[in-house]
Amino acid sequence: MPIVSIKWQKKVFSDIEIDTTQPPLVFKCQLYDLTGVPPERQKIMIKGGLLKDDTDWSTIALKEGQKLMMMGTADEIVKAPEKGPVFMEDLPEEEQAVALGHTVGLHNLGNTCYMNSTLQCLHSVPELKSALLKYSTKSNGLDQSSHDLTIATRSLFADLDRSGNPIYPSQFWMLLRQKYPQFGQQQNGVYMQQDAEECWTQLLYTLTESLKPSELRESSTTVKELFGIDLRSRVHCTESGEESIETESVHSLKCHISMDVNHLHEGLKNGLKSELEKTSPLLERSAIFSKHSHINSLPRYLTVQFVRFYWKRESNQKAKILRKVDYPLELDIYDFCSDDLRQKLQGPRKALREQDDSKFGLKPQNKDNTSTEQNTSMVKSEGTTSTHNGESSSVSIPNAEKKAHITGIYDLVSVLTHKGRSTDSGHYVAWVKQESGKWIEYDDQNANYKKEDDITRLSGGGDWHMAYILMYKARVIEM
Amino acid sequence: MAVDPTSNANSSTPPAASAAKPPSVKDPKKSKKDEKKDEDLSEEDLALKEQLELYVERVQDSDPGVQKLALESMRQEIRTATSSMTSVPKPLKFLRPHYGTLKEYFGKMSESVLRKYLADILSVLAMTMSAEGERESLKYRLLGSEGDIGSWGHEYVRNLAGEISPEFSKRQQFEEASIDDLMDLVQQIVAFHMKHNAEPEAVDLLMEVEDLDLLVEHVDSTNYKRTCSYLTSSASYLAGPDDLLALDIAYGIYLKFEDLTNALRTGVALDNLQYIKHIYEISNDLLQKKQFSYILAQHGLVLELDDEMVADDDDRETLQDIINNVKLSEGYLALARDIEVMEPKSPEDIYKVHLIDGRASASASLDSARQNLAATFVNAFVNAGFGQDKLMTVTSESSGGANTGHWLFKNKEHGKASAAASLGMILLWDVDSGLAQIDKYLHSNDNHVVAGALLGVGIVNCNIKNDCDPAFALLIDFTEKEDPTLRIGAIMGLGIAYAGSHKEELKVRLSSILGDSKTPLEVLAFTAITLGLVYVGSCCEEIAQSIIFALMDRSEAELSDPLVRFLPLALGLLYLGKQESVEATSEVSKTFHEKIRNYCDVTLLSLAYAGTGNVLKIQKLLGYCAQHLEKGESHQGPAVLGIGLVAMAEELGLDMAIRSLEHLLQYGEQNIRRAVPLSLGLLCISNPKVNVMDTLSRLSHDSDGEVSMAAIVSLGLIGAGTNNARIAGMLRNLSSYYYKEAGHLFCVRIAQGLVHLGKGLLTLSPYHSDRFLLSPIKLSGLITVLHACLDMKATVLGKYHYMLYFLVLAMQPRMLMTVDENLKPLSVPVRVGQAVDVVGQAGRPKTITGFQTHSTPVLLAAGDRAELATEKYIPLTKVLEGFVIMKENPDYREEN
Repeated sequence: MPIVSIKWQKKVFSDIEIDTTQPPLVFKCQLYDLTGVPPERQKIMIKGGLLKDDTDWSTIALKEGQKLMMMGTADEIVKAPEKGPVFMEDLPEEEQAVALGHTVGLHNLGNTCYMNSTLQCLHSVPELKSALLKYSTKSNGLDQSSHDLTIATRSLFADLDRSGNPIYPSQFWMLLRQKYPQFGQQQNGVYMQQDAEECWTQLLYTLTESLKPSELRESSTTVKELFGIDLRSRVHCTESGEESIETESVHSLKCHISMDVNHLHEGLKNGLKSELEKTSPLLERSAIFSKHSHINSLPRYLTVQFVRFYWKRESNQKAKILRKVDYPLELDIYDFCSDDLRQKLQGPRKALREQDDSKFGLKPQNKDNTSTEQNTSMVKSEGTTSTHNGESSSVSIPNAEKKAHITGIYDLVSVLTHKGRSTDSGHYVAWVKQESGKWIEYDDQNANYKKEDDITRLSGGGDWHMAYILMYKARVIEM
Repeated sequence: MAVDPTSNANSSTPPAASAAKPPSVKDPKKSKKDEKKDEDLSEEDLALKEQLELYVERVQDSDPGVQKLALESMRQEIRTATSSMTSVPKPLKFLRPHYGTLKEYFGKMSESVLRKYLADILSVLAMTMSAEGERESLKYRLLGSEGDIGSWGHEYVRNLAGEISPEFSKRQQFEEASIDDLMDLVQQIVAFHMKHNAEPEAVDLLMEVEDLDLLVEHVDSTNYKRTCSYLTSSASYLAGPDDLLALDIAYGIYLKFEDLTNALRTGVALDNLQYIKHIYEISNDLLQKKQFSYILAQHGLVLELDDEMVADDDDRETLQDIINNVKLSEGYLALARDIEVMEPKSPEDIYKVHLIDGRASASASLDSARQNLAATFVNAFVNAGFGQDKLMTVTSESSGGANTGHWLFKNKEHGKASAAASLGMILLWDVDSGLAQIDKYLHSNDNHVVAGALLGVGIVNCNIKNDCDPAFALLIDFTEKEDPTLRIGAIMGLGIAYAGSHKEELKVRLSSILGDSKTPLEVLAFTAITLGLVYVGSCCEEIAQSIIFALMDRSEAELSDPLVRFLPLALGLLYLGKQESVEATSEVSKTFHEKIRNYCDVTLLSLAYAGTGNVLKIQKLLGYCAQHLEKGESHQGPAVLGIGLVAMAEELGLDMAIRSLEHLLQYGEQNIRRAVPLSLGLLCISNPKVNVMDTLSRLSHDSDGEVSMAAIVSLGLIGAGTNNARIAGMLRNLSSYYYKEAGHLFCVRIAQGLVHLGKGLLTLSPYHSDRFLLSPIKLSGLITVLHACLDMKATVLGKYHYMLYFLVLAMQPRMLMTVDENLKPLSVPVRVGQAVDVVGQAGRPKTITGFQTHSTPVLLAAGDRAELATEKYIPLTKVLEGFVIMKENPDYREEN
């Protein structure tokens, strides 16, 4: 009866007697006592293979004191979970978009980057999407082409939300040309590059028309409510001393760029002041009137256009101002508001300030925690589904308990940039902030992640992409 | 290089300067010219010049007495005046115009002692006078008095040596010409050089005259080290078989001076088991033998000690354990604890997503199978050998809820195989607990998991030999199962566990799989690789035959499969580094089907000459790259890899190869460009050279997807185990650049895992011992992975991603671990710095520069060298790498 030693994991059991008259199974049971490993899971290495239960000991030349190695554990055998994980690769292609973390890009159909970037910017407005969804498929008194274009916009936005691969916006492109033949302008058989601002304005105009609240659907959001800015202008003639008040509604503020404009703020101020020549009823001749505008109502989405292009008379072409004009990620529009509006904004702004203060723990007067909680109202970006009553211009939105108030403070959500020296050439790109807070650059079919620094760097002053249209989203507070 | 100041007293003092010769005696023709020159000469020089002219006159005198006196005076002048090496000594300068005259007179002289004297002088004069290729210096030397060669100065000897080699090769052309007289001279020159710190010149001369054996009698204990280091490092520039001869001589010299560790290294370089055994036999110091064993273990050499080598049973067991690398895991973990990197790292710690701006983790809700697979590999590479990680070794309960399940099941199908095998990587080298942990997976009912576990068993046993042969016992039965997945797992595991072991049983069992025409192609490919690895560099005819038959057997359709490339590779592995031995097989490969013929030819060539630095072979491979292929052949990829393989031998060739590859990038066709990054990766493996890093970084954005993927993987290879921050940054940026391209992202992840290989404690470099020894096993692992990467889509990105585990063969800790006489870790101060090339330099130059002092264990980066910073201990080997045994210095006195 040879005596061997068994090595199991890091332990060594020496002086184990093997009864060679019994089958190895007996030996294994012996080891079971020592290690707790059931015999069927024991693997004992002998020269040239494993010790089987029915091996004859005599075929193995066991030496006295030989070291054997045993492998095996009493551990539970790993079992596959009943429900395996679902892998992204297994999903159908359409659903992979969700996993991507952002929506896809649009293919360029030949100089259509102006259209692609405009669409990407507008696509980032959830309210517009929900308004489109409510649009009835029957054209209610609209002309056919506007109706078709609205439908096409809706389906394109839906595709963008769903697809995992870049989309060809062919149908939209066709209907856009139908509605606005100027985009179908060709040169040498190729569609020409167009001004994105024009595309933006025209598209919004169409949507304003088609999504106009009919009497039946009063609760739906209008485009005007989303983007419209009411301006009240005081027109004053220095010669005659006449003064009149005009009101108008526009879709965007202009930022006029002159030699001394370095910042968006200055540009906007320029844009709200103008001089015009018109017939003075008092003088009975034309005279110079100065026009000074104030914002009377604020939209949910404030659009700012940099007036970078102008008609250069001497060379008979549109030229571009490359001047660097900085813009903030957070814009306070208070200075441009009319007195009435300022009055209305005061309350929400104070509430917002208090809330910010408490968030940073800077509000010492709130000793009582409970009162803080009560006073503090949550600021949140409005959800896509929240409905709004647009009776007056969006200053107050009645809610069940609280109202969302516009504060006059805006956050940048998308930038449409132009790269190149003239409107009819160059390249348009959209930079859109996602709900996750990340910025995405939509360069036709390519969508790339960008840093916030990259966004502020689009302020011009070189040949890099420069901001052309900015879209700000209102920061609201519920109270 | 001081000139021997020859203070010979044999010649009598020259006659006192006799009265200045009247100018009329001068040759009237020359007088005008000379006068002009004379104006520049100082009084002293003028006197010397006239004196010499007088001697020349007198040499032609009829009176032998006068002649003799003149010759001896002249000789004296020349000998004493060899003052400077930078200009021609003055006597020589002044004698130049008379060289013709003397030569003419010499022709007229009859055979006499005086004639020989004159011959000596002419020989010296010829040094500066003789026309190019005339070799008059040598001619007159042979006619001369054969006196002490050194008495004429160092420059003269060097000149003579320079003339000998063309004369020698000329005489070699005419067989009947005797070279005895030349060899006598060579003897003298070598003796002179060896005595005067000019070993490289002596070695060079002997190489020219093809008689290195002469060297052995001239070396002594003061110069043998320099001689041998010159010999061994010049070996990599020599064409075979001269390179082996040089190493052989070095071995002989080391043996003569009982420098046994160096002799052993040289023996290993020669891959000569007899030599290695002999060294064990003649050494009678057990401690020294332990050090030998550590060196062999680092090389991965498989050696069975017998009682002639080590008499005592217990000692033999200890030594065998060292050779079998049984304690490698222990040493590695000791290093890890010392550096405090035991804490396991998760793939997220490596990706460092928070450093990348704009990267949304929106997809966290869904698992991507490919990304999980990448995480599996990253986890395996990063935690290699540490025995703990955050994915595989944790139990599912502790890893966050039962609903998520074990990490293993977050992988898909064959991904599970890689996941199970990663356990082997994590428990690398720790056979005992490794096998215990893998065991439970062997009982799974999922074949992928079992296959992975089998592979894991192999990986755990990589480079470790165990008496009980657990890997063989566990795996061998699975090689004949039905399911190809199981078979591949077992076969690959065997290949990794027994690489380089020449294990007979495996040959028998696996050859039959090769011979079976019903074996599925994938199993065939892995079987061939395994046999190639096990018998790497063995030139084993039997296996070569089996592979050749398998290649001939298969149909044309099967030969188009991307996996077929591994059969020629396996064939090549058998001849890895064996140079000419491959030729017979190479001939046979020419009869193959044309689809595979060229591929096979190039692969065999490149592997057989791997690590030799053979310039001719590199040229040949470059030649392949210059062809324009039209039939869709694929042999240019291995050719480009081959350039890297052959050129990796030494630094100069390596740099040249990098430049050649740059040209290929610019002018080569797409299939060549795809292999260039891989070749660069091989050349700078675990050695992130900045220029290569830049090239690869550029290529990683290449418009061709395969070029960029190869470049990304290569970035990982050059940074493997270095934690190089620059590469890590590049890869992070690439991960956001390629976040949408699944294939690229996978490569980026793999590369990230490689850069942090073993948390920076491991290297993939197949070289060790001061870049002197090339371990064929490590190299074979690298080559296999690189060949797989030549077609990533079909291998690494497809279902054979576990081929990446072949890299484990090349992994070794890049450490210096000092142990005491009982092999317990011992901390000693060492200086670690950039290695300086001191080959061929006289004196005792500094071997490292820019060093810092650490206490062991320390990490050594590529190009680093360590030296002991204390006198208290004596290392048993001069090369401080891996495990080094320290002996107490008996003469050491504590300083106060």
